[in-house]
Amino acid sequence: MAEKLEDLNLPLTVVTRIVKEALPSGVSISKEARTGLAKAASVFVLYVTSAATNIVKNKKRKALTGQDVIDAMKDIEFDRFVEPLGEALEHYKTMASARKSASMKKKDEQEDAEIIEDD
Amino acid sequence: MATPKSEKDLHLPLSRVKTIMKSSPDVEAVGPEPLYLVTKVTELFVMDLAKRAHKNSNANFLEYKHIADIVQEDDTLDFLREIMPRKITVRQFKEMMAKKAAKNGDDSSEDSSEDSSEDSSSNNEQE
Repeated sequence: MAEKLEDLNLPLTVVTRIVKEALPSGVSISKEARTGLAKAASVFVLYVTSAATNIVKNKKRKALTGQDVIDAMKDIEFDRFVEPLGEALEHYKTMASARKSASMKKKDEQEDAEIIEDD
Repeated sequence: MATPKSEKDLHLPLSRVKTIMKSSPDVEAVGPEPLYLVTKVTELFVMDLAKRAHKNSNANFLEYKHIADIVQEDDTLDFLREIMPRKITVRQFKEMMAKKAAKNGDDSSEDSSEDSSEDSSSNNEQE
């Protein structure tokens, strides 16, 4: 599978939207600043992934979990993200189980259908 | 089929974040739960950095240098230092080098800087 360089970049338009939502209205951001933030975000993904992977390896596990990502925050000194991520994880789990019970209900209703869940 | 709301409250594309994560060595499986959190924390990170840079700027125009300053001064952002260096103009660089050379000249050590500055040894007739 060919990995193009662009695939490791995050879309500039999306990064711009995130930044605009974070700042008060009326603030303009130079293109260089936006590009810089997009690159920083990509590097941050790698940085977090690496830290979380180290935790997983030390625990002799293979698959990353959400908790590993949260624990990684302390290792990389981003403790300020621990709480919001904890909330995000709760939110995610609630949504995931709601989705699961909804699809199981659907499964019961469709006697002959086969549901294949991806990934 | 309704898209679960948890995936709608994120801006960054999950697939792209996953691609980046998988380019990291030693990564094996990336399930949806860690993927969601990494995406989420990256968004938080961008917002956090942008806000800090904006505070640093004291104006309504956020520029690259405001971000670079924060990166260079905060040790927790060490991982960004290579990709976000402070940028200076060629003139500023020359001035920096000139200052350095002048300082070294006081110690009477021979420095290799050729084009130190304009006020060098051209007019020695006046003391």
